[in-house]
Amino acid sequence: MGEIVLELKDASIFQKESLVLSEVSLKIEKGEFVYLIGKTGSGKSSFMKTLYGDLPLQKGEGHIVEFDLKTLKEKDIPFLRRKLGIVFQDFKLLPDRNINQNMLFVLKATGWTDKAKMDTQVLNVLEKVGMKTKGFKFPHELSGGEQQRIAIARALLNDPELIIADEPTGNLDPQTSVEVMKVLQEINKSGRTILMATHDYALILKYPAKTIKCDANKVFEVVQRAV
Amino acid sequence: MANSFENYQRRKLISSYFSVVLSIALVLFLLGILGLLVLNTKKLADRSKEQITISVFLKENTKEIEVEQLQKTLAMSEYTKSSTYVSKEEAAKQHSEDIGEDFVDYLGYNPLKNSIDVKLKADFVTAEKVEEIAATLAEKSFVDEVSYDRVLVSMVAKSVEQIGFWILVASAIFTFIAVLLINSSIRLSIYSKRFIIKTMQMVGATKTFIRRPFIWQNIKLGMIGAAIALLAIAGVVYYLNTNFQDFGLFDEPYILIILFVSVFLLGILISFISTYFATQRFLNLRTDELYY
Repeated sequence: MGEIVLELKDASIFQKESLVLSEVSLKIEKGEFVYLIGKTGSGKSSFMKTLYGDLPLQKGEGHIVEFDLKTLKEKDIPFLRRKLGIVFQDFKLLPDRNINQNMLFVLKATGWTDKAKMDTQVLNVLEKVGMKTKGFKFPHELSGGEQQRIAIARALLNDPELIIADEPTGNLDPQTSVEVMKVLQEINKSGRTILMATHDYALILKYPAKTIKCDANKVFEVVQRAV
Repeated sequence: MANSFENYQRRKLISSYFSVVLSIALVLFLLGILGLLVLNTKKLADRSKEQITISVFLKENTKEIEVEQLQKTLAMSEYTKSSTYVSKEEAAKQHSEDIGEDFVDYLGYNPLKNSIDVKLKADFVTAEKVEEIAATLAEKSFVDEVSYDRVLVSMVAKSVEQIGFWILVASAIFTFIAVLLINSSIRLSIYSKRFIIKTMQMVGATKTFIRRPFIWQNIKLGMIGAAIALLAIAGVVYYLNTNFQDFGLFDEPYILIILFVSVFLLGILISFISTYFATQRFLNLRTDELYY
């Protein structure tokens, strides 16, 4: 048994007042790769949002990295997110600055001060996703796949204990999806924990891993072959 | 490609900054002019107050030395702005001119008395104080009568108070409108960046860190706006001073300096507060709420 990075016990996920998921119990250990599947509207995104503090955990228990989701205070949310790497379906890069500045913003925002170290770290993560030469580009000048790789690189900047990817391939064509997936797989192999929401079953078949499913207000683990 | 995009973005930014700067400048200009008015009401009021005269009529047999003494006492008292001795001949001449008829000839003698006309300093022109001064002067043995226009004194004091009050009310309303206008243009410019702000929060930036560049940016705009407003106010002051010399705008230069500094600080303060609250608003929303 490895170190546990995410643990939920009887948690209920609410979107405003309406209950989306109930009795969620889940454990993710360090180094795991976990898929979260389910139809649109089944609560995947709300589940993810609860994990990174965009929705409050109102009922049940939840621990993520060193934070207790139940007692998480508004002012602690930024520090929780520094321990996580979040990748979105719509990339969410800052459109008003180029890639390098996007990366530097994150580093400065999370307390880095040494200019030389920051530059090295930016090159470092861009290299991991194979985008080392694109630093001077603006987000809108890149293709969707490239933007998503940049977003993954951004998620890696603070050496996160858990990467939360909310349908990272949702906006990409199958081939590009596979490329992005390869990047995520490599990152997972280097020892990082990844929780990825998706409804791209082809990817799951190609890269099998532990899979949990949201359906009928419940979350449960499914056996790969039964998908 | 990158270059033309940057240029395009810069142009877009400049035009959106322009409206913020312009609204700050216009509003501060109006406020500054009003401030100028407020600071000068006292001067205008004082001037009308100091026109009021107390006439001290002297008895027929008053000795010259007593008159001189009274004049000296008056000159030394703190309430006197100026005092002039008016002999009954001068008074008669003046009065004849006023009524257009030589009444001395008609009557065969001059019924008027020698008098000293006292003009008071503005601070002493209130009904009570004038009353008191008149009473003290009347006590002297050689003084026959002290007379002044009671109605005028109380009217001047009252209307000055009223004018001052309404100018203050107008300033308050203007300040309120100023804050409202500047606030809404700043809020609009931040609203357009609400998704960027949310993304910044998603990557672990604290609220203070996200807010800082916005505040600095808008304070800079506030300073530019205030500078434009001050230039315009300076122009107005210069115009007034060359065309209405006796207005005495430069008599007390520190008042102008205080006005300029406070307009400038107000520009910074308003943009700071508006930015703070506008960013706060979007920082506190959850992602889903941004779409409304």
